[in-house]
Amino acid sequence: MLVDAPYYIPGSLAEPAAGNPQEPRNDRPAYGRQAAALALRGGSLAVFIGVLVFFSVTAPFFLTVGNIGNVLGQSAIAGVLAIGLTIVVIGGGSNVVTGGIDLSLAANMGLSAAVYATLVQAGQGDAVAIMAALGTGLVIGAVNAAAVTLAGIVPLLATLAVMNVVAGLELVLTQNTVVPASSELLAALSASGPLGIPVLAYVLLGFTLLVAAAVQFTPLGLRLYAVGEFPQAARAAGLPVKAFVAGSFIASGLCGGIAGILSVSFLSGSTTGAGDMLLPVVVTALLGSVFSRRLVPTITGTLLSTLFVGFLINGFQLLNISSTLVSGVQGLLILLVVSATTLLRRQENI
Amino acid sequence: MPARQLSVSIPTVTRSIGRHALIAALAAVFVLFAWLAPAFLSGANLLSVLVNNFALLAIVATAMTFAVSAGGIDLSVGTAIDFASFAFVSLVLAGQPIPLAALGGLAGGVVVGLFNAVLIAGIGISPFLATLGTLFVGRSVQQLLTNGGNPVYLPPTGVPDAFRFLGHGTIVGIPVPLLVAALVIAGAWLGLSRSRFGRVVLATGIQASVVRYSGIALRRYTAATYILVSGIAAVVGLILTSTVTVYIPSSGNAFLLNAIGATFIGTTLSPHGRPNIPGTVLGVLLLSIVANGLLLSGLNFYWQQVGTGLLIFSVLAIGFANRKAAART
Repeated sequence: MLVDAPYYIPGSLAEPAAGNPQEPRNDRPAYGRQAAALALRGGSLAVFIGVLVFFSVTAPFFLTVGNIGNVLGQSAIAGVLAIGLTIVVIGGGSNVVTGGIDLSLAANMGLSAAVYATLVQAGQGDAVAIMAALGTGLVIGAVNAAAVTLAGIVPLLATLAVMNVVAGLELVLTQNTVVPASSELLAALSASGPLGIPVLAYVLLGFTLLVAAAVQFTPLGLRLYAVGEFPQAARAAGLPVKAFVAGSFIASGLCGGIAGILSVSFLSGSTTGAGDMLLPVVVTALLGSVFSRRLVPTITGTLLSTLFVGFLINGFQLLNISSTLVSGVQGLLILLVVSATTLLRRQENI
Repeated sequence: MPARQLSVSIPTVTRSIGRHALIAALAAVFVLFAWLAPAFLSGANLLSVLVNNFALLAIVATAMTFAVSAGGIDLSVGTAIDFASFAFVSLVLAGQPIPLAALGGLAGGVVVGLFNAVLIAGIGISPFLATLGTLFVGRSVQQLLTNGGNPVYLPPTGVPDAFRFLGHGTIVGIPVPLLVAALVIAGAWLGLSRSRFGRVVLATGIQASVVRYSGIALRRYTAATYILVSGIAAVVGLILTSTVTVYIPSSGNAFLLNAIGATFIGTTLSPHGRPNIPGTVLGVLLLSIVANGLLLSGLNFYWQQVGTGLLIFSVLAIGFANRKAAART
């Protein structure tokens, strides 16, 4: 795998169970694989659309502007977090154990939300509170970045330890209670925008657009992909690999801070239990790669997978199906997707 | 080499500190808590640390060590614990004899391992993603089985004493959970570092392709590894259920992060940064002592998590920085 990754790999966790990307790839254009990839990508889009059609037919209110807006709004927090995670995955390589992953994101959101709510409750203005919440996110991101690039801890472990510390700090700050908060910004965020769609929905779309533009359409973004997928080649080409990896963690920390503010507006305060968001967000971000052309993590793919999960939950609710099935469906989806990509890659390597 | 001996002596010193960061940390927290909280050193307290904090986590972390040794990870150990617990409780409620119910519980946990084995060794999904998927599917299955996540209680009366034996019993004065943990640790140590199976597992973790090219049935070993992991985790499910006489859906996940933490803290003990059973056990011991000591020292409960996190973070940082330095020379 990443033989000379910017951080030390313990043993060879890097070794995937099957396939060996280090082996030279055959040069002839793999039409079969392209067709299969197209089938997978088209297949996942088809499943997405199929689910939407199914819900529109069976649940009368599903296909209304109001409902779709609601789903977008409810997905905003998870979406921003998943996008942050996607940036780390792009910059660190897609091997989840040795590559980029940020387990501290959900805890980060919790602490940033707590900081914001506490400051607002203490009578501080929006400006101070926003700066503090985003600053909290940035600091957490910077600690992750330092742990990964300077101390050389594997991201999975570094962010796991940071997650514990951050979750503890949130408990210290809030004493494990709900901190209600109201401010002008919060009122503006939780209001309805044009077309009766929640402002949060617009925030999610705008945020995605901004990050997608930066990651998918700028030289900076291209270099981030290069650093993640081929660190040696990137280094040989003169890219500051460590700086990019560090930057991806700081960006993801900032996303945690933003998600924190959004969650305060969505829940009218900071609540406990932010850590429960972690695994769903990880799954969402990893699932996003099926919605991309080359089956790599992309920002738009992550948005689609966030919305997919959001629509599933919403549709289940409208149909009165137990929403407990959602986690099962998510699990099955990720297994299906990953099996399909693994089998594709294996074919390619033969 | 002898000529360079002098010039590398300082890095060597810092490296040996790094190597022993875990033992130093253990000694430090032990002394610190003995000084902060006099009750810490009492025999009753130390025994309670071992039985209440150490035993169960040690078994889960031992299981995790196998997965990490093979170059993977198992995020579904909690699912195996839950499935074992559910099968055990259901069989007892159905009136089956305890030994049979316990066997059924173990089988319930192993089902999770079989599922993982198919995904990882059969299809070839990376262990992280495969077991993450298992975790989600397992959570959903449990909620379906329990009407949306209701705990399954055993009636307070009518539960045979044999049921409580695993959690509350003693053999020659030693609590059964501790005894089981010691057996599992000893067995795992023998299995991992003294058997052919263990050698193949360790080799898989270092360079899987070499194992494959050596003509070893890699897939079979990988499958066996994940089945073994869930089997060991299932033991925790039995003890846990026997202790609290209730099955709570998805409660096993509480062990997950600490087990991963302990396993990787343990890798700092090995000069090559490899997972190893003694290291894992010391890692669990460190976590248990810190949890208990912080409680006794009367520190605000919420600061305890911060303290534990910072401690794990520093042990990892020292261990990894040291390994990086070693790799450079």
